[in-house]
Amino acid sequence: MTNPSADTAIVKLEDVHLSFGQTQVLKGIDLTINKGDAVSIIGPSGSGKSTILRCINALVQPQSGRITVDGTRVDQLTKESERIALRKRVGIVFQQYNLFPHLTVLDNIVLAPTRILGVDRREAEKLARELLEKVRLSEKADAYPGQLSGGQQQRVAIARALAMKPELVLFDEVTSALDPETVGEVLWVIRDLIRDGMTSILVTHEMRFAEEISDTVVFTENGRIVDHGSPEQIFHNSDNPRIRQFVGGLSGGRGAVRDGEGI
Amino acid sequence: MQDMSLTDLFVSLTNRIGLNYEFLATGYEAQIWRDGFITTLYLIALLIPVSLIAGLLFAACLTSGKIWLSAPVRGFIELTRNTPTLVQLMFSFLVLNTVVSNMLGGAQNNPLSPFFWVVAVVGLHIAALHAEAIRAGIEAVPASTVEAARGIGFSQLQILRYVEVPLAFRSSLPAIVNNLINLVKLTTVGNAIAVSEITYASIMVWTQRDNVVSLMIVILLFFSAINIIVARIGLWVERRLAVPGYGL
Repeated sequence: MTNPSADTAIVKLEDVHLSFGQTQVLKGIDLTINKGDAVSIIGPSGSGKSTILRCINALVQPQSGRITVDGTRVDQLTKESERIALRKRVGIVFQQYNLFPHLTVLDNIVLAPTRILGVDRREAEKLARELLEKVRLSEKADAYPGQLSGGQQQRVAIARALAMKPELVLFDEVTSALDPETVGEVLWVIRDLIRDGMTSILVTHEMRFAEEISDTVVFTENGRIVDHGSPEQIFHNSDNPRIRQFVGGLSGGRGAVRDGEGI
Repeated sequence: MQDMSLTDLFVSLTNRIGLNYEFLATGYEAQIWRDGFITTLYLIALLIPVSLIAGLLFAACLTSGKIWLSAPVRGFIELTRNTPTLVQLMFSFLVLNTVVSNMLGGAQNNPLSPFFWVVAVVGLHIAALHAEAIRAGIEAVPASTVEAARGIGFSQLQILRYVEVPLAFRSSLPAIVNNLINLVKLTTVGNAIAVSEITYASIMVWTQRDNVVSLMIVILLFFSAINIIVARIGLWVERRLAVPGYGL
């Protein structure tokens, strides 16, 4: 599923080190992501996967290393206004959806384009309704997040991120809080998005999904990238015994994969 | 004339059960008393928005994470919460007001009235209580919700305005309504510095007429009625703002 037409790097991390207090979370991350690619980051919990995403849209600042997002040196941003300018271009979707509970579905999607980008309300609403159709939630426009299931909330969160027309979207374990039956509806939406050519970086425990949609799979452990390559290479032909052990449970499905990461 | 006879009827009827409202038939005392009600209502109408706006500003300072904003506000809140409002009012009027007068070259140049000092002292006192309630509400907004807003590209101030305050206001509303009920009652401290609100006006009347019980009954009914209305409006706002499927 490689996209030969777009080969330019949109995200580049070079030797990124980050610690929270005494805890070293990232110990030299090198990662290049091309425009239009879908990259999955897999690995045990606590290996720094989510932190990599948070570095990319400047929610956390690494102590050293270079992070470039479409020409912007993210590691060198010092002003909040510069970080905001970056975040406008990089969408992010979280594990816990984090919708604004006091706003309707439509207002959740419309708030950022109207308040941050200054888009006209009517125009923003039109886009929001299109996005809701895309995530198959047109009939829920006037519902509040608390009235929706987890899967529905997560699809709204994806629509909310897309409303800013981002250049790339970061998905941070977006199905981890969902029950197995609703995981599918969210993955369906992401799969669609990737097929449309959206540059996507996914931190995920959905191994089958990662294998299916990724151009590149990255395996992290203990703050380092242990290996990266095509899904075929990582999931089926890895020389690394640790990776083989981690993805070994794959044939057994989600439960087995979860057991594999119990470290 | 119709009005006069109604007043007379009221006075004679209440007289039969031992209450004395004879002053209502006079011009001067009835006028003082009527003005007392109006002054109290005027104070309440001013103080509610003043306390809410100041409380919101205080809460924004407290949660700003900037020490030069939060420390002075924290200091003021501790001071105003921990000392009697009556003492604050007397200090403000007798000391601060005198300082202002001296700076302006005499009391005749000082535009600040006792009425102003009641609004300032009671307003800021209740604002301090509002601020603590709103701060608790802001801090109760999940960190993940705030992070999501940051991740989308909202500025600190936008997050406060569109996410934190709307959620905090909902969760702190019961406490805010409590503070407002307190505020209504606290307007009576004005009588200490001769603001002619209803208790001051009533004292003026009953020292002449010796009808304390008669006036007290009206004062109690008056404040009860206002506070029932405040509580009702609070409940109405609470219901209006209730978010379906959300615990607030």
